[in-house]
Amino acid sequence: MSELKPTNRKAELLQKAAADGHMDEVMAMETVAGCATTFDPGWEVDPFGGVASLCQPMEADLYGCSDPCWWPAQVPDTMSTYPNWTDGKASAQNDWRELDAVFPKK
Amino acid sequence: MAGFERLARAPLAIVLLALAAPIWARDLLITGAKPDRLVVIDAASRTIRSEFHIPDADGSVTTIVPSPDGRIAYAIVGRTERIVGIDLHTGKAVFRAELSTPGERVKDFFGLTVTPDGRELIAYELPVLLSLSEYQIEEPRFAVFRTADGLGAKPVRSFSAPRRVHMLLMRPSGKSFYAIGFDLYEYDVKTGKLLGTRGIRNWELPGHSQPDLLAFWPVTEPTGVFTSPISSDVAEGGKSVSTNALMSLDLNSGALSFDDFEPFSALIFSTVLSPDRKTAYGVYTTLTRIDVEHHKLSARKPLDHTFYAVNIASNGKELYLGGAMCDVDFYDAATLEKKAVVKLPDCADQSLSSLRVVHTR
Repeated sequence: MSELKPTNRKAELLQKAAADGHMDEVMAMETVAGCATTFDPGWEVDPFGGVASLCQPMEADLYGCSDPCWWPAQVPDTMSTYPNWTDGKASAQNDWRELDAVFPKK
Repeated sequence: MAGFERLARAPLAIVLLALAAPIWARDLLITGAKPDRLVVIDAASRTIRSEFHIPDADGSVTTIVPSPDGRIAYAIVGRTERIVGIDLHTGKAVFRAELSTPGERVKDFFGLTVTPDGRELIAYELPVLLSLSEYQIEEPRFAVFRTADGLGAKPVRSFSAPRRVHMLLMRPSGKSFYAIGFDLYEYDVKTGKLLGTRGIRNWELPGHSQPDLLAFWPVTEPTGVFTSPISSDVAEGGKSVSTNALMSLDLNSGALSFDDFEPFSALIFSTVLSPDRKTAYGVYTTLTRIDVEHHKLSARKPLDHTFYAVNIASNGKELYLGGAMCDVDFYDAATLEKKAVVKLPDCADQSLSSLRVVHTR
């Protein structure tokens, strides 16, 4: 780390947090929502190592994940980054074929 | 003259007839659905009584908080950046607060409550300063709005708040409210003073790991008690056993309890306490009945699909299941048998919307 130098304020804050011993404040999920705050395995596997306790069907959980930015790597977040992703598609179970892939904005 | 007398007495006769009839109180269910819907369902007739469109909901309706008199539903909309109050009789917006300003983006992740007199709303705000070259995360805060300020409401006061809060629950006295996050906090409504903190993540249960809690559905009707599933690992005979417990917070007395009721065998997203206070019900992909007196699983049945939200009839006889998809299902509380399904208009998803019950006449 001593060979790395921060090039912006965010990196400076991260370095300061590490130096001040605050890195342990990064914790696993508990009453936390929002982008990239959860470490749940996602839609691949449930807490029992199977799939029976995942949301059934997947469409039941689709907007429940896009609205609060729950798994932004798997589902576009409509909270901030792709606010119009579900426009005109009020029903995930009927409209899922119309939901487009998204691409990073340049 | 005799004819005139009969005519004059007619209104009185109608009044007496009305008084003699049983008082017809009914449960109205309130849920939100994409992109901007606020749907009111008459529980007795299993019909949609009203479908309102919330102005500028921008695709999401999350937390719903009815006013204490049941006339207005306050909802967090606009990608969690706006609070709108809808008159449940007329469908008109009677309250609106923009949380964000041009230089500051403010999100409210589910935290909203109203004072018992209906005069003030308290929202949990997560502000981010939008600078030209960076976003600067600011400290969270509680913002208090006067409901009488109508469509241009601004905070009348605000005070600092802890991070990671997702639910606000007003106490019946109106003097303080609870904030549920990593721990359970209580704040003075007027001054914003922190009155006390009790452990959730930092609970002190011997042999229990730190718990996992998902408190997004602020249901306290009809008992005035908030309940939620909460899970942890429990040490048993040298092994670690994942366990489901029921968290219970009595808003009136302040009593807080965590009671294990089963080895972790099914996910539960939210629960509701029956008015007899002996039974609680939980939903996710199964419908769970919990024996609250004896702290054990009472019954469990698979559901047609995932439901996030559950509520209960004011007399405790029926369960209402909502959230996630586009139907509100009615279940018998005693047998857990499905009794009816109400499909929402255009099969619009409820997503993370609250499912609330207003008991009205």
